[in-house]
Amino acid sequence: MRSTRAIERALMAVAVSLVGAFGCNGALESPFAAAHPDDDTPRRGGTLHLASFADIATLDPPIASDMFTSSVLRLVYAGLVDFDANGNVAPDLASRVDESDDGLAYRFMLREGVRFHDGAELTAGDVKRSIERALAPTTPSPTAGFYESIEGFEAYTKGEAPHLEGVVVEGRYLVTIRLHERDSAFLPALAMAALRVTCPSAGDTYSPSWAACGAGPFRVPPGGWERGRTLTLVRNESYFRAGLPYLDAVTWQLNVVHGEDFKFARGELDVVRDLTQPETVRYQADERWKPFGALEKMHGMQGESMNTEIPPFDNVEVRRAVASAIDRDHIVMLKSSNLTALTKPVPPDLPGYDPQLEGQRYDHAAALQHMKNAGYAFDPATGRGGWPAPIVYDVAKQSMQEVTAQSMQQDLAKIGLRVELRMSSLSTLYSITHRRGKSQMSPQGWQEDFPDPSDFLDPLFSSKAINEEDSTNYAFYRSAPVDDALARARRERDPKTRARLYESAERTICDDAPWAFEFAYRFFQVHQPYVRNLHVHPVWTTDVIEVWLDRDRDRLARAEAPLVRRLFASLRGAL
Amino acid sequence: MIRRALARTAWAVAVVWAVVTIAFFVNEVIPSDPARMVAGPQARPAEVARIREQLGLDRGVPMRYAIFVTRLVHFGGSVVDAKDPKHATCAAFGPVHVDLGRSYVQRRPVVTILGERLPRSATLAAAAVLVQMTLGIALGLFAAARRRTAWDGAAMAATLIGASVPTFLTGLLLQYVLAYRLRWLPFDGYGKTTLDQATALVLPALTLGLFGAAFATRLVRDEVSAALALDHARTARAKGASRAGVLLRHGLRNALAPVVTVAGIDFGALVGGAIVVETLFRWPGLGMVSVAALLDRDGPLVMGTVLVTSVGVVAANLVVDLAYVWLDPRVRA
Repeated sequence: MRSTRAIERALMAVAVSLVGAFGCNGALESPFAAAHPDDDTPRRGGTLHLASFADIATLDPPIASDMFTSSVLRLVYAGLVDFDANGNVAPDLASRVDESDDGLAYRFMLREGVRFHDGAELTAGDVKRSIERALAPTTPSPTAGFYESIEGFEAYTKGEAPHLEGVVVEGRYLVTIRLHERDSAFLPALAMAALRVTCPSAGDTYSPSWAACGAGPFRVPPGGWERGRTLTLVRNESYFRAGLPYLDAVTWQLNVVHGEDFKFARGELDVVRDLTQPETVRYQADERWKPFGALEKMHGMQGESMNTEIPPFDNVEVRRAVASAIDRDHIVMLKSSNLTALTKPVPPDLPGYDPQLEGQRYDHAAALQHMKNAGYAFDPATGRGGWPAPIVYDVAKQSMQEVTAQSMQQDLAKIGLRVELRMSSLSTLYSITHRRGKSQMSPQGWQEDFPDPSDFLDPLFSSKAINEEDSTNYAFYRSAPVDDALARARRERDPKTRARLYESAERTICDDAPWAFEFAYRFFQVHQPYVRNLHVHPVWTTDVIEVWLDRDRDRLARAEAPLVRRLFASLRGAL
Repeated sequence: MIRRALARTAWAVAVVWAVVTIAFFVNEVIPSDPARMVAGPQARPAEVARIREQLGLDRGVPMRYAIFVTRLVHFGGSVVDAKDPKHATCAAFGPVHVDLGRSYVQRRPVVTILGERLPRSATLAAAAVLVQMTLGIALGLFAAARRRTAWDGAAMAATLIGASVPTFLTGLLLQYVLAYRLRWLPFDGYGKTTLDQATALVLPALTLGLFGAAFATRLVRDEVSAALALDHARTARAKGASRAGVLLRHGLRNALAPVVTVAGIDFGALVGGAIVVETLFRWPGLGMVSVAALLDRDGPLVMGTVLVTSVGVVAANLVVDLAYVWLDPRVRA
């Protein structure tokens, strides 16, 4: 998601200043109470109003590349499997999923009588067509590589085979997916948006003009999506889970760069999550709002990537010095409402997180010792010693890393590493940091594509991810033990053995320190009391399938409409 | 007159071509990878390579420029067939086709995106210029009529503040007071019905108009004051013409030419998108889409917005030049 937009950030900062200047730091508006707070019986109807500072780039599943878009697509398209409320993979369109004894095949028994939004029945043929469409060589999918373990993937994606050999229709409601090697991350990846089932109108090949149509709980009405502005989804009356969803519609305001809290306070929005730090703190501190706010799970991690092929970071002791010199608690204070210090690559809320592994930690004395071991001893009293040349640090303008970099810069100066910030736009930064030999050091992060440690560790630390032009292994880090552990873990079916392998890989990575891990970002979500049954989902940012509304319509209608509209309505009534 | 118009039009076309060509190469020179921007920072190399090929970015820059120029204006059928790969991204004006390609990010024809956005930016620009001119002329005349009085001083002080305060600050203030506190107008957005759109237009138009009105006021005041100091204005007054009559007939009429110039140039610039104000008010015009295109390195869309902006400015200048001839007899001579 292209979230670091310079102008948006600047406007946000000014908005915050203005809020202070105009005396908005007083009490927050009161919550709009539920009409029937003691009655937990779900009520059907109503429109849930949401907003996002981001845009939705596509409504076609294989094209999605960010979690916000994926969480919206999940409402429109049903998949063979999904994530349940605890973040575990669970059957969705499939009534049953059977794994073969050798772990090389998954058999999906589909629910019968499932209807697409256009009324057509969903069958196993649609599953195969949707998967082949998503992975076709002409489809510009940024996530196709997640499914490379499917048998025949390479031949099909290169256009050498007309069909994907590993997806086999065995009956009208029975489909089997065969893998050429065991892949423990396959089902979590399958639960994401890319391979969800599309209507027959989508055809066999990707077309940018196709109108979104799936079998999910909501559908996109004609004119429901205006890019960059709004998206409205309405209830799919023939959704296969009887009685769901409760809402008539969900609507998003997109590209909202400021003012979400104003709209929320006036009842124009029912849930907000893109609050600034002062707003977040105010909601977190207000007793009236506490029951209705929650921090979302950590879906990503941030840190400093050091290019292990460029001096001084080709020296492991220098990298260890950096990992020990960074005061993570200080960085977290820069945005304490949303940041959590991180000492290892897998964030705490992800399956596979190992609480026993200490990881990297701040230790100034140890950092100085590592510098000495590296041959660049530094004396903080005199300022003598250290690495003699400045280290060029590539960072995107107006990003949060521009701020955290300054804290890191001061920490590293204390151990004899002079860091010079080289600012660029995000697109320039990508073009530099993904290429071999172009960037010495840069802030990097990784957002969860699917909840599995392999999603973080394989692309960032496996030597297989090193590429001359498009490396996701930004540190160009190579470690035979790590490669071996990651490859074995990917094939391993026993959860405990798998966890041990990842723990071993993480331990080596933390010690080799191609990255200095710093923090994870969490959004804070707050909703009006009349929004019922809204819980933070461990994977999807906005899970509204079982949400229902219990609001006092008259009161809200008065609050929502601006004066001009109210006047017009009054005049119309009078006439 | 016709010769002058033809010469100016030819010059305008040359300017637009130069601007578009420079923009094309500047966009190419800046180190960036549009395929990576489309795929996202986490896409695997194979996916980025595939997207690069699909977008035609594996071709050399001269080849891409040649394709851009030859496709920009060409001939075809008078109706565009969306399934015809050769013309699916064209806009047809009779047999003349304009083709700016397909947006890398939105994956839609650039002409379609511009067709949606341009009218909204033009509406906002027109409304802003209307506010700017109405306020500017009224306040400028008022100040000129009361030159060197406290009223004149107050008006000039107000314009100084108006010109000094950036639009995003004015916009935020108006949003806070008129939308959030008083709830007279919508906070931002565009609206679906005409009434919604009209009410949503007020705040962004006012924000831009107030900023422009400050300059217009000073311009009108100075021009009218200078005109009133001329012999024929004094003579008219001496012959018994009313003060208001002299102010409007001799003062304002003389001031109209520079005012029209400013209005025209402002309109042309605003058609290209008032980036800050459109972003602040979520007004879905060209400004918002230009910023997104630039940040995403969405080459075809960048070229489309540059083309529209340059055509807007050049066309406005052309109209202003020609209007001068009509407004000012001295130019005609």
